[in-house]
Amino acid sequence: MSRTIFNTIELLPPDALFGIKQRYNADERKDKVDLGIGAYRDNQGKPWVLPSVKSAELAIHADPNYNHEYLNITGLNALTSGAANIIFGPDSDAIKNERIVSTQSISGTGALHIAAKFLSKFFPERKIYLSDPTWANHQAIFQAQGLVTNTYPYWDNETKSLDLNGFERSIEVAPEGSVFVLHACAHNPTGLDPTKEQWETILERIAYKGHLALFDSAYQGFASGDLNKDAYSIRLGVEKLKRVAPILVCQSFAKNVGMYGERVGCFHIVLPEQDTKEELTTVKKALSSQLSKIIRSEVSNPPAYGAKIVATILNSDELRAQWYKDMITMSSRIMEMRVTLRDRLNELGTPGTWDHIVEQTGMFSFTGLTSEMVARLEKEHSIYMVSSGRASIAGLNKLNVDRVAQSIDEVVRHFTNESKL
Amino acid sequence: MLLIRHRSLAETAKIIHQRSFTSLVEKVPLAPADKILGLTAFYNRDPNPKKINLTVGVYQDAWGKVTTFPSVAKSQKLIDNDLLLNKNLSYLPITGCKDFETNVMNFLFKESMHHPELIEQDRISFIQTLSGTGAVAIAASFLSTFITNEISVPNYSWANHTNIFTKNGFPSVDYYPYYDRKTGQIDFQNWINHLKNLPFLGKPRGILLHASCHNPTGLDPTRQQWEKIIDTIYELKMIPVIDMAYQGLETGNLIEDAHLLRLCLNTDKYPHWNNGIFLCQSFAKNMGLYGERVGSLSIVLPEADSQLKERVNSQLKRIVRGIYSSPPGYGSRIANVLLSTPNLKKQWFKDVKSMVERLQSVRLAMFERLNWPDLINKESNHGMFYFTRFSEGQVNELRTKYGIYLTLDGRLSLSGVNNYNVDYLCEALQNVSKLARA
Repeated sequence: MSRTIFNTIELLPPDALFGIKQRYNADERKDKVDLGIGAYRDNQGKPWVLPSVKSAELAIHADPNYNHEYLNITGLNALTSGAANIIFGPDSDAIKNERIVSTQSISGTGALHIAAKFLSKFFPERKIYLSDPTWANHQAIFQAQGLVTNTYPYWDNETKSLDLNGFERSIEVAPEGSVFVLHACAHNPTGLDPTKEQWETILERIAYKGHLALFDSAYQGFASGDLNKDAYSIRLGVEKLKRVAPILVCQSFAKNVGMYGERVGCFHIVLPEQDTKEELTTVKKALSSQLSKIIRSEVSNPPAYGAKIVATILNSDELRAQWYKDMITMSSRIMEMRVTLRDRLNELGTPGTWDHIVEQTGMFSFTGLTSEMVARLEKEHSIYMVSSGRASIAGLNKLNVDRVAQSIDEVVRHFTNESKL
Repeated sequence: MLLIRHRSLAETAKIIHQRSFTSLVEKVPLAPADKILGLTAFYNRDPNPKKINLTVGVYQDAWGKVTTFPSVAKSQKLIDNDLLLNKNLSYLPITGCKDFETNVMNFLFKESMHHPELIEQDRISFIQTLSGTGAVAIAASFLSTFITNEISVPNYSWANHTNIFTKNGFPSVDYYPYYDRKTGQIDFQNWINHLKNLPFLGKPRGILLHASCHNPTGLDPTRQQWEKIIDTIYELKMIPVIDMAYQGLETGNLIEDAHLLRLCLNTDKYPHWNNGIFLCQSFAKNMGLYGERVGSLSIVLPEADSQLKERVNSQLKRIVRGIYSSPPGYGSRIANVLLSTPNLKKQWFKDVKSMVERLQSVRLAMFERLNWPDLINKESNHGMFYFTRFSEGQVNELRTKYGIYLTLDGRLSLSGVNNYNVDYLCEALQNVSKLARA
């Protein structure tokens, strides 16, 4: 045996979310419940292929021209244009005036990564501001590209509501031209979104300070069942910043079309208005060429299958109508589970207040459970969630919600009593 | 540049100040169009009815159609019709599907390389990747973080290799002589001399090797030359980074084509690769899964040490998580079903063989018309590409005068040639070859 450079490589802790999945899979208790990873489950706790997706798959397989040829470097045009339509709205001024540069990405992570790589190449000194807390992977994605990240206050643990003052203060003191990463809707992990009025304030402050807004849109239509409602913040941002600065948008179809493992997403740069058409064309061409170069250096071109499914849905009136129904099916089941869980906890008289579970939107609830409580839930009750207390509501169903409520009740009482001793 | 209307002076001043970001975005320079995929865009706009696209390495049948291999089509059917196989579109693990890993590792290391002990001893760090590009990109990122940021790449090489390394932590790449454009031969002695004369800067150096069917020249070293090259690389303690994009397309026999890997793993000759061997492998060409992005990165570790493997895997996961979280599922399910179903796998071996037979018949048909001997030199000229050694001027002439598209370096994709266009093509090639090569 001899020591080589390989011996100096350090072991990293497993990724928290995928680690939970591994422990969950290894757990042999029959009534285990996975509230870890953010994937939708139906009322039987099974993964659910959307009916619109099934129809799209049939259409794709029936097409005599179906093959596995390479997509363009920037992906399938039918996908990127359809995706821009739903996120910016069919009447978008940015679409009409062709102010958008789009590319397909490996879902939301891939879009964020392209954004990070793009920023690190052309604006390496800009600080990236992330909400506190935020999706576990945000920091890693930006830091991996050598960018400096910072946080802005978001969640007030006392009131379990938005810390708007703290948020505004961060916008105020951040060096001009910083990048603010905003969750377009269904904030991960808190499930708490700014109100319409709060978004007005936030985006005006960002515009005024000359910051750059980067929207991460992972839950459009999944959160409320309504594409327009869930794109409110982005469309407002496009409007507010249209004479000021570009906007970056990272769009995922993992949740709202259930394309999780097929890795379908888009990255869009919305340019502010330009004096002339020629100028706009020149800037767009340059941006597109740089994005292509980044993509070419890592994946050459994005995966085709999932892109074809989503493009088929977005470009068919019939399938789109079905998809709208599917999103309502998912969002209303999740809402029902939120209400049921809150009601059960109230019935049990579990110490604390639980209305925030119902007020939060999207896949998750930031339950307020401590990491000790979460550990006990896993150990004693075979219920798995992230140690921050984030629970994926999609993992709840009619068969397990009672037991989950009872288990939460037990761990909360266990630690509440203990602290009183 | 910006429209400013109805604003107070103070606000206007503010906004003009804010232009810093916008104008910086406006200063982003135009990156050159990708040499290969950019040409397809030109081709698509060309009104010439006789136009032929010989740029992209996608296999087409004798009727010029991109078809799905029978083995792949059957695997697809199985997946599409079987709810158990396609029950959901859930996330794969960061490093990919576990069954895919088992089946691909068995195919590569047991069947192709005859080294099952590497799997048994836990010597391989394996991840599913977005085809060959993804494998090289992850390898580059890993190497530049932990092992070395020096790499030697053949001159010529796939246009994207340099881009991948320089965008993933390598400040620059070194080019070793590979192809002698004058003679159309491997520039063997200069290659060896170049490697021997590289300065040692305190770090081991990576060397990118094409396992077979060198892209773009289609010219591979002979087996004897390979032995001498690997001897040199081993002596110099370089790290082989092997890009195997065309397994099966050299001889038509998938197993046979892994000869470079078998050579490197011959422990009698090379008992210990100090910093491992990096294998970047793709199913894009040999399964025709191009756009589905299916491939793998295997790092053959220097030691059988499960802790070492765990450490390496943890770092690979970190890299993947920061780029795309987890790989796409569909294509890997196809490959997985194909590799784990014996009769489909048998069919696949046949499919690859008949693809290569067609490419060889194209070479023969062109040879009959052009009498260029390297077209049919089986010892060295392999795969989907034929390197014309045409100058850029000649390539442009072919495009503008005949509507025939090659990549600018003169690479011709044989798969776009068929009975319907071979006469027209060879006539044009003949005419253009008479022009000065300068």
